Amino acid sequence: MSQSILSALVFLPVLGAIFVAVTPRENVLTQKLLGMGMSLVVFGLSLWMLAAFQLFPGMQFEVNRPWLPQYGIAYHIGVDGLSLWLIVLLSFLTPISLLASWNSIDSRVREFNVFMLLLEAGMIGVFVSLDLFLFYIFWEAMLIPMYFLIGIWGHERRIYAAVKFFLYTMAGSVLMLVGFLVLYQATGSQSFDLAVLARSPVDPALQMWLFAAFALAFAIKVPMFPFHTWLPDAHVEAPTAGSVILAGVLLKMGGYGFLRFAIPLFPDAAARFAPWIGTLAVIGIIYGALVSLVQTDMKKLVAYSSVSHLGFVMLGIASFTTAGVVGAVYQMINHGISTGALFLCVGMLYDRRHTHLISEFGGIKTVMPWFSALFLGMCLSSMAVPGFNGFVGEFLILVGSWSFSPTLVALASLGVILAAAYILWMVQRVLYGEVTNPKNRSLPDLSVREWVVLGPMVLLALFMGVASPLFTRSIEPSVDSMILKVETHRKAAAAAARAREVAPPVAPAPQPLGGERPR
Amino acid sequence: MVAITGLVVLLAQAFTPKGRPSPSAGLSLTGLIASLGATLLIWNGNGRGANVGGSYAADDFALFLHFLILVIGLLVVLLSPSYLRATKIDRGEYYALLLFSIVGMLGLVSCKELVSLFVALEIMSVSLYAMAGLHRDREQSLESALKYFVTGAFSSGFFLYGVALLYGVSGSTSLPDMAQHLHGATASTLALALLGTGLLLVGFGFKVASVPFHMWAPDVYQGAPTTVTGFMAAGVKVAAFGAFLRVLLEALPGLASEWQPALAALAVVSMIVGNLGALAQSNLKRMLAYSSVAHAGYILTALVATPGLGVEAVLFYLVAYAAMNLGAFGVLSSLARDDQEPLSLGDLAGLGVRRPALAAALTLFLISLTGVPVSAGFVGKFYLFRAAVNAGYVSLALVGVVMSVVSAYYYLRVVVFMYMREAGDAPTWGPVTWWSALGLAAAAAAVLGLGVYPGLVLEAARLAAQALVPH
Repeated sequence: MSQSILSALVFLPVLGAIFVAVTPRENVLTQKLLGMGMSLVVFGLSLWMLAAFQLFPGMQFEVNRPWLPQYGIAYHIGVDGLSLWLIVLLSFLTPISLLASWNSIDSRVREFNVFMLLLEAGMIGVFVSLDLFLFYIFWEAMLIPMYFLIGIWGHERRIYAAVKFFLYTMAGSVLMLVGFLVLYQATGSQSFDLAVLARSPVDPALQMWLFAAFALAFAIKVPMFPFHTWLPDAHVEAPTAGSVILAGVLLKMGGYGFLRFAIPLFPDAAARFAPWIGTLAVIGIIYGALVSLVQTDMKKLVAYSSVSHLGFVMLGIASFTTAGVVGAVYQMINHGISTGALFLCVGMLYDRRHTHLISEFGGIKTVMPWFSALFLGMCLSSMAVPGFNGFVGEFLILVGSWSFSPTLVALASLGVILAAAYILWMVQRVLYGEVTNPKNRSLPDLSVREWVVLGPMVLLALFMGVASPLFTRSIEPSVDSMILKVETHRKAAAAAARAREVAPPVAPAPQPLGGERPR
Repeated sequence: MVAITGLVVLLAQAFTPKGRPSPSAGLSLTGLIASLGATLLIWNGNGRGANVGGSYAADDFALFLHFLILVIGLLVVLLSPSYLRATKIDRGEYYALLLFSIVGMLGLVSCKELVSLFVALEIMSVSLYAMAGLHRDREQSLESALKYFVTGAFSSGFFLYGVALLYGVSGSTSLPDMAQHLHGATASTLALALLGTGLLLVGFGFKVASVPFHMWAPDVYQGAPTTVTGFMAAGVKVAAFGAFLRVLLEALPGLASEWQPALAALAVVSMIVGNLGALAQSNLKRMLAYSSVAHAGYILTALVATPGLGVEAVLFYLVAYAAMNLGAFGVLSSLARDDQEPLSLGDLAGLGVRRPALAAALTLFLISLTGVPVSAGFVGKFYLFRAAVNAGYVSLALVGVVMSVVSAYYYLRVVVFMYMREAGDAPTWGPVTWWSALGLAAAAAAVLGLGVYPGLVLEAARLAAQALVPH
């Protein structure tokens, strides 16, 4: 039973989507309940998986069945410390987004639930795939539901945003596809399986190109500067649920892609590109923060803050130290919760006033005290205030990156200060001060539904900030083992290259290659 | 068998009193199903390897394509009745011509001898010329028929000239003999052979609508009755590429180093022009015509990877392409009502709300045409590009994928209109008949099924490829 849990996680939402698709159009309540129910079932399953997860590196709940043997493509899935929490996060955010949209999505509810469930299935598939072809299928497949979610239920410029999102992301992905094919050809390994390909050495010059192709696809997703321009439009125009899932999960796929595929497959190229990635990450941190500072639209502010926060994640990944990478993975989860919650809060204000403009608000604290309290809490979490989850993540990243590049760390810390600036300024203009706009005087505070939506997020943010070892202890072994494997490969390849240069061509191997043993 | 069915249908139409519904569709269906059965029998061993004086072959390659062509015919017959009734051309001649065209296509992929190949080509084409003009009261239809006829005859001339040159060089019109003679070719014969090959390429290029021989496609596709357009887009491509493969690999493998780069160039230009051209279209059938040109480019990409993985990739893609293209045209044709049919993007507005199943089907076909997983189109393109990369043509694959992204824009535009625009005053279209629904469901099932489990068809394609080029 436990062996098929991952397949269940991937395909149950599809089943749910089919059920919702065949309900008659008028039974709106049935559709909402079905969608909600299925997403809760998936969440429960993911919690079970969490409980059954053991604290050692390596894949768990692995399933490996041949699918297209002539091409070496297999249905190979598994989960380890890198993807574990991402899956739990994803299955946690989906019912919350559905609950948040309970009243605000009132047209074509059936299609909405179908697309949300299909999106969930696709994303879980991305995080559990260990075969390149399978990964690509899920990666691309979840573009379609997201495109529809933005394009149908979004705001004024939704079609432009949806098409931009689709084309931008697809462009990066197809280059990665050609990268797959070239890699398959070059290694001669007759397989698309990640583990097999990771063992096969690739010529360093070719590695650079292939890494670039993969990195482009993932960098667009993260989004890294300068490939981030699709993000503000997509986030702002998407409906609340779409923004939460987009920020909470979709963006993590970029970082995950780097850690799972790009770096293990091309260690040399990754090491050589690392300084560039770190630099772009820090540029993203500062640029994202500066642009957030001047925003007048709350949603856009949060969107650009995502660029800034995920710059930290990429810095941690580029540093490739245990602390850095664990911090990066942890920060991915944190960002999902804090930015997801911020979008939910902004969405709640939108539900009441149908505007995202900061100037339309002011003095909300006096009118909606509880909302303001929770909103402030999530803002603090986003700012990385100690006690909240964001602090742990960013601290780990900065500590881990110090050995990589002190300069970048110093610049990144500037980003922390800027984050405080833009968040607190927004908080002050929206929540504090006098109630300047008469329309704001009688806004209702949080309803029960909204409590259920926001409450768990805030509690989690606090819990993750204080009890973080509970989370990082499952991440750390996998990160350690990955770093070790990559470093071993890199050193072995470097030694082999040196041996080829030094030794005469006919002599047998003069130096012990790959003689380093795992500690 | 198909020919006999065609004749029967013609006669039945002649004897049906005016005003009674024509039994042609049912008869055609029966005949096609019977032929399918016969093909299956041959595949399973009886009568394999039959050779009509060395000019006709019933090998795996031919049978695979026979099966595909007959299924295409079947789907078109399923989709036709409602469209024909809606546009008031419900006559037996349509079905008879369809069946005769199928006869030509079947011959085209099985002929091992250039003259009989030409005869089959003409049988297929002449029937199609007539079918294109069936809407006798519409100017566009007549124009399309005439254009098709003139360019088709023109291209046949090129083709025949090429055949003549090759005959002059090799002393035989039989494909295997030609290969043997070209083996020990001297410089002068080589030049003539190349010229002949070039002319053959031109002839084939016209038929599959690759650039720069594609000019007829947008007008002809737009003017012809929609089900005929679907048949043209799917069937002619399948048959033409089948013949193309056979000629290139059985007769001219020795010249591969010459025609491969030429095909690569054609592929690149077709992909670029086809996709860019489609971007500018607002008429649905013209857009699909340009997309056809682009897909011819994708298929040509794999042709340069022969005789390696390219053949099976092409065969698989032809199956996928037939399914998704027929599906797309089928949705358009099943919406026809009262001599009206959806012509431009605006006509499809709000379809997502009014006709959810049809809109979902069309979305599936468009997604498949773009090449997004989970769909037959993605798997097909994957195999095509894999074959190209395998043969060392990485740049072709790069052009192909970039152009696929471009194509996403115009395919998604239709989806935007269907789902993200209000219906407004777009006309409400006709209800879908059972037959059309069956045809569309079959196409959709094929597109989804091949996207998830392409193994069976891929195996069959591999067997077919091996029959053509024994390893």
